[in-house]
Amino acid sequence: MNILQVKNLNAWFGDHHVIKNISLDYMTNTISAIIGPSGCGKSTFIRCLNRIHEEVPSAKATGEVIMQGKNIYDADVVSIRKNIGMVFQKPTPFPAMSILDNVLIGVRLQEKLKKARLMDIAENCLQKAALWDEVKDKLNKPGTSLSGGQQQRLCIARSLALNPPILLMDEPTSALDPIATAKIEELMDNLKKEFTVIIVTHNMQQAARIADFTSFFVLGDLIEHGPSTEIFTNPKNKKTEDYIMGKFG
Amino acid sequence: MILRKLKNYLFLCLMTLSGVAVLIPLILIITYVIKMGASSLNWQFLTHLPKPVGESGGGMFHAILGTLYLVSLGGFMAIPLGVVLGTYLSELGKGWMATFLRHAIDLFTGIPSIVIGIFAYVLVVVPLKQFSALSGGVALGIIILPVVTRTTEEILKLVSNTTREAGLALGLNRTQVIWHILIKGNRAGIFTGVVLAISRAAGETAPLLFTAFGNSYFSYGLMQPMASLPAQIYTYATSPFEEWQRQAWAGSFVLILLVLGLNLSTRFFMRQKS
Repeated sequence: MNILQVKNLNAWFGDHHVIKNISLDYMTNTISAIIGPSGCGKSTFIRCLNRIHEEVPSAKATGEVIMQGKNIYDADVVSIRKNIGMVFQKPTPFPAMSILDNVLIGVRLQEKLKKARLMDIAENCLQKAALWDEVKDKLNKPGTSLSGGQQQRLCIARSLALNPPILLMDEPTSALDPIATAKIEELMDNLKKEFTVIIVTHNMQQAARIADFTSFFVLGDLIEHGPSTEIFTNPKNKKTEDYIMGKFG
Repeated sequence: MILRKLKNYLFLCLMTLSGVAVLIPLILIITYVIKMGASSLNWQFLTHLPKPVGESGGGMFHAILGTLYLVSLGGFMAIPLGVVLGTYLSELGKGWMATFLRHAIDLFTGIPSIVIGIFAYVLVVVPLKQFSALSGGVALGIIILPVVTRTTEEILKLVSNTTREAGLALGLNRTQVIWHILIKGNRAGIFTGVVLAISRAAGETAPLLFTAFGNSYFSYGLMQPMASLPAQIYTYATSPFEEWQRQAWAGSFVLILLVLGLNLSTRFFMRQKS
């Protein structure tokens, strides 16, 4: 079943046309990766999917992104972001905020809940982000006191707290060491049981390891999209093949 | 190799020396004030009103409270406004209005405090036809405002854009991002600016000379003249009476203690919080 349909998406920074008429479908409970050389627009593309792209001055986007039958470009921007979580390249724990408050800030500002219910949500999300065992005794310590990999998992837990059907990840492991990366890849595999994950990565091995589907972008154009096994073993397009073989990029 | 080490050593010496050069006047001032002030400082000085010339004893109780009152009054008016202005400049301020405001705030910082005193005189004292604590508070507020505004702006500008986007991506609106993530998250830094501004205002004499004016008695009315430590020190230090001069030293000592105490205690509490 398709959870997200992108139709004729275009995006600009000023006059610079960075995303060129892209149409793509995303299936529920899958991990889809976007790969491509630097500057190909993969980050911009994913940032159009929760409309964070338009927060940049001079940036604009046209086209349709349909989630559960509704075009997010016609919906209220705040409400769609509650349904589409995002994890950024650099871990972004909020300053001077405890681990617990970091996880709960989105929920707390959305609705008033009992303390016990909030604790349930926090534990549940931290479990799903494979962080609970490491932080359960220090939930009141600042989020910034954690290591880089833990901070990134904290950010994942924070996004999960609103229970969004879709989770966007913009190079979530590129600032992390291989061990922290492996942990995040492992937890992503668990996440797809409940969520749909779309991840941008510059690491082709990562895409091959974790993604069910892979899209290959060059200079704002979608070159090829398909099951990862096909993209990486039997690409149809010459450019994809060259990129995967390391001939350019 | 030897040359490199020599250069390294030379610059290390230079830096240590400049550090010492900065510390010397500070230590000299503080030790001198302590030496001159501590001997005249006693319980009576802290709890009594001035005695007429010729009688010994008496104190600056009214001026100590007056300084706390005036600074609080100024802070009460200027700190919220400064934080809001600083936030506006950092988060929303674009275009000519923000540029104008930024320059105006910079200019404000550079205005001599006596001019600010005259300004508050014309603004508050003249229309109300009396010297008052209110006008003194306004004058100190004008001194506090630009410092708080600029610190708030600079501190919020240090926050990475990704942090703001992370807030927006959680479905927070812009106001929530500004309040819950930016301001609350940087309260320690903003508070440091506030303390800095208050310390400066607490030591100002010139803006109070023709606003709060001074008072030999204790007063708490907003519309009455009010004593303050710096003004009292000024009056006593320039008087011909030895007893008053000694009290001026004691007053200076108390003022330094107040400002130092404020600095250290906020630092302590901020460390506790984080």
